[in-house]
Amino acid sequence: MLETFTPAVCGSRKRQIVAQALFTGAAVLTAAALGLALGFAGSLLGGRYALYAAAGLALLAAAREAGLVRFPLPQARRQVPERWRFELPLPVWATGYGAGLGAGFFTFQPVSTFWVACAGALALARPLPAAACFALYGAGRAVMVVWPRRRTDDPTAAVERLTRRRGALLRANAVALVVCGILLAVAPTAGGATLVQGAAYDPSFSGGAIAFANKAGDVVVRPGGGSPDEVFSDVSQPSLDGQYLAVNDGAGISVVEWTNGDEVARVDNPNASRPALDWPLVAFVVRDGGFKRLVVRNLQTGGSKIHVAVKATFQLGRPSLSGGRLAWHVASRKHSAIVLKVLSSGAKRVVARTRIGLLQNPTVRSSRIAWVDTRSGASHLRLGRVWGGPRTTVETMRTRARGYWTTSLAPGAVYWTRWTLATGASAVYRTGV
Amino acid sequence: MQPPEAPASKLDRQAEKLSAKLAESTTRLSFLGRLSAAALAIAGGSAVAAAVKPDEAEAFHFCGHIWTTNSCPSPYPPLSRIDRKGYPLHPQSGKPIDNLGRVVDGTGHALDGSGNRLRGPDGAVLPPAPRTRVCEDWTAEVKGLRDLRVQGSWFRCCGGQIRKLVDCCSFSRRRINGDASLTGYCWGGRRVYCVMYYDTGLPC
Repeated sequence: MLETFTPAVCGSRKRQIVAQALFTGAAVLTAAALGLALGFAGSLLGGRYALYAAAGLALLAAAREAGLVRFPLPQARRQVPERWRFELPLPVWATGYGAGLGAGFFTFQPVSTFWVACAGALALARPLPAAACFALYGAGRAVMVVWPRRRTDDPTAAVERLTRRRGALLRANAVALVVCGILLAVAPTAGGATLVQGAAYDPSFSGGAIAFANKAGDVVVRPGGGSPDEVFSDVSQPSLDGQYLAVNDGAGISVVEWTNGDEVARVDNPNASRPALDWPLVAFVVRDGGFKRLVVRNLQTGGSKIHVAVKATFQLGRPSLSGGRLAWHVASRKHSAIVLKVLSSGAKRVVARTRIGLLQNPTVRSSRIAWVDTRSGASHLRLGRVWGGPRTTVETMRTRARGYWTTSLAPGAVYWTRWTLATGASAVYRTGV
Repeated sequence: MQPPEAPASKLDRQAEKLSAKLAESTTRLSFLGRLSAAALAIAGGSAVAAAVKPDEAEAFHFCGHIWTTNSCPSPYPPLSRIDRKGYPLHPQSGKPIDNLGRVVDGTGHALDGSGNRLRGPDGAVLPPAPRTRVCEDWTAEVKGLRDLRVQGSWFRCCGGQIRKLVDCCSFSRRRINGDASLTGYCWGGRRVYCVMYYDTGLPC
């Protein structure tokens, strides 16, 4: 195909430049569109396991390129249709060639790297970054058209020189794939998230059901198994525990059986908010006077206990209550911390603390605790054990425009809210852990 | 709570006040000459200023800084613009920012581009986030050093105003760049770990 871009066949130098430009534009755009589609598909599927699959695929491909294993590649063993350049006008065939090669699926693949890139874009699960990455593939295709023409000699000679170095190229490709596989395998599971619900925030998971607040001012409980959603109007801040749902209804905390809407208990205090339910206990924040207090009440006995009291200027965020453990965040102008308390013993532990970021919205379940760690220019979703030890980063966003909000742990997954600072737009996502 | 101001910082403030007074009452060139004299007069204090050039100072990694020590960690790396008390400012606008890099008002609430208080997804105004000092808090936590102090400073003319360049000093023999640190304008055995700057707003 390369010779079709030469002045000898196509005419003037200007005509050659036009052809190359159209080819490049089409290749880059088509590749970016492919990346966009793969990234979007990944975002629907959930990228965590796809990430490991991509890492495995990269290592397998490296073994193939190194000649250690042999297997055929899924591909169309064709070149671009030669008749196009005889039958079609230059703008059409140059663009068509670019689109065909940029898409990657329609021509012969001498190495397996393209498929590893596809798996990587799928695992990335983020359409725009995947599109940006794949655009480089299209650019690479364009370079192979433009580069041999940088000198005046026959462009096919450059291809022949490459062919003579095929062994070295394959080895380099194998090394690159090994590096790629390792990087994919050790990469944090950033982007490995599945969209649960748009225009929603404050997720709370329990027993296969998930509750969240939406922008319409309602709380939605989505049971597992495809049952229809239960909607509770004019309430917020849901906390789900089995058949019970605690919400803030403006006059206090209301606890209802979400299957039938019957109220089973309430905390009549308009200053009470941010409930965390672990039936029959409910934790909530009360603002009175110059203080914010974190209270745990037994809804069966009526007994209450104040576990934390901070100045009203401090942040005392949405608590989390599970298995006799209470977690919360506190932030002042000088520091922020995630704190965990065992209710039975009163033992308290600072899970994380910083003077240069904002730690907030923890969620505790069984032996795990997750929280949001926001720094300047980046937000992280951290996961650790209640007794300490190493922490992992479940998700990361390197932007000032968006951040993480509330979280909820589920068996093998963490639900989290992502929001946009400028607009307040938010959505609930799920990541396997 | 703000810790009590160290004597060195008080001296530094006095030097700034003196600089401002001089700047208000003199022409640029005579001001600069007298500024040098004033700086020498308080030599031994924290405001041992180098010779101030009347023209734009040469820059190594930001205007006014002609040495190689890198800037301290801050919400807007690589520039560490601070206010008089060492808290971070936005490098371009000079407005106060919190530790997340958001422009904040006087009560610490984050503001959007229109100057309104930022609201969360639930529509409630976001509570203030921490805002801590670049040297004693940011650098200390990022680099794991507990002995960091603001000590030395000097002045340069940058962008038509006097810029105060500030040393964040440590007993560490290794500076933020990873190589050997210099004494610079630090004292008491401390050496320059990283640098920050404060634009005084005084014309030069």
